[in-house]
Amino acid sequence: MNLATLQNAFQSGVLFGDPAISRSILDSRRLNRAARFKIYFDAYRFRLAEFLSNDYPVVRSFLGDERFGLLVEAYIEATPSRYPNAREYGRRLPDFMRLTAPWSEGGDAIDLARFERALSDAFDAADGPILAIGRLADISVEDWPHLAFGFHPSAATLDLAAGTEQCYASLSANKGREHGSRPDRETILVWRNDGQVFHRAVEADERLAYLGACGGKTFGDICTLLEFQNAGEKIIDRVASFLADWFRDGLVSRVSVVV
Amino acid sequence: MERPSSIGFGLGLRPQYYREILEGKPRVDWFEVISENFMVPGGQPLAILERIRNDYPIVMHGVSMSIASTAPLDRDYLAALKALAERFQPEWISDHLCWTGVHGVNLHDLLPIPYTAEALDHVTDRIRRVQDFLGRRIAIENVSSYVTFAESEMDEWTFVRELCERADCWLLFDVNNVFVSSFNHDFDPLKFIDAVPPDRVIQIHLAGHSDHGTHKIDTHDQPVTGDVWSLYAKVCRRFGDVSAMIERDDNFPPFEDILAELEQARMVHGEDRSRQRESAA
Repeated sequence: MNLATLQNAFQSGVLFGDPAISRSILDSRRLNRAARFKIYFDAYRFRLAEFLSNDYPVVRSFLGDERFGLLVEAYIEATPSRYPNAREYGRRLPDFMRLTAPWSEGGDAIDLARFERALSDAFDAADGPILAIGRLADISVEDWPHLAFGFHPSAATLDLAAGTEQCYASLSANKGREHGSRPDRETILVWRNDGQVFHRAVEADERLAYLGACGGKTFGDICTLLEFQNAGEKIIDRVASFLADWFRDGLVSRVSVVV
Repeated sequence: MERPSSIGFGLGLRPQYYREILEGKPRVDWFEVISENFMVPGGQPLAILERIRNDYPIVMHGVSMSIASTAPLDRDYLAALKALAERFQPEWISDHLCWTGVHGVNLHDLLPIPYTAEALDHVTDRIRRVQDFLGRRIAIENVSSYVTFAESEMDEWTFVRELCERADCWLLFDVNNVFVSSFNHDFDPLKFIDAVPPDRVIQIHLAGHSDHGTHKIDTHDQPVTGDVWSLYAKVCRRFGDVSAMIERDDNFPPFEDILAELEQARMVHGEDRSRQRESAA
């Protein structure tokens, strides 16, 4: 075999158990060729399983070792890695679970996987400036309705089954599995500040305000939006309190006046 | 061609030891970082590496260049590697004499090659192209292997020696890998050591392995064994003053244990230096 043919055969042997490579492997004094090649076949699966276990410890805890093992096995067989960085390998696990039976029937596990993935993504996201709330002191009162915001590259929102964040916290603290997610949804904001990843639940009106701001809506637009949603009487105070929280959390990377 | 001077005795930088390194500023001459772990857009690992780089020299060691693959060189990967090197200014960059996949797949393993004239031409050409792209010589590490290919036309050490000369690259000599492969393939490790041109060796790896009776695996989850220390003494005698380090990637012991292994490396190297001075006198 030339080098290209040998590498194709070797890879097919590792991925699919294709026996063609055995013609190119010699027995050693202590191991036959099949046992020698099996070292690579097993190492591939072991290594990818280790990546997934590192990235999804709470999903593992939620499903238990046996079911998590079956999930990992199914994912590995369906999804060869295409990434130099091992941390990328598990990125598609939540989508795989959503699209593949029987995992597609476990909504709670899928949402936990999405949550853990979002935490990993925030950990590795690009760096960006973090503005202090004092930045607003430079802006005149008449410009406030035209204020627009940019957020830290690590910030993201997730719509999950209500109770997912609580379940994650409980399993992370080894306090056991929370039973019975509720049929309603919760929105979780995930971000990184000073190297640490944070998350918190946001109410429906803050969700609307945050997503509006992410989409380029100004402070004035957001107040109008919330008024339209009939969120209450003191809309400006409410939006100002969201803004204060976003600065406190280290979410705001840019403030500009849109003319 | 003059090889870079020794930068002393280093450790593989692993997150398990970040705290001890940042707070204790241990007596380690340099750190080796896994390049791919820092090819991320941002976040804490890069910030920590910035801090460590302020206090220590680093070298960059990759696992995914796939220099021996018949797939095209990954230009995106090489661009990311070059950008990382420009940011952190390592003493040198290394990767393995292996392939990691073809057709866009990464098997996340250091896969062996047949030692043929065709493979030698192929890998030589790719190392030259990578060196041109990066604008510097790279170091290539010998790997542990568990299969012997019927196609091989020469010994591993002949292949390595020829490769270093023809590609004009450095060698990262992994003592544990030579020991593991010598057991798995029934050869005398001294033949490997004696065949390598000393002026090409710029770095030495020391690590532990797991022994399965019928074969040994390069797992980096155990202390360096006595056999590997003995080989290291012979390596010091032949290669002279070369930067050396301890690799540990699993079953992490307390940091003091790793520092103690590093002291042992200093001692083995120092004993050899003393012996050489005595013979010269």
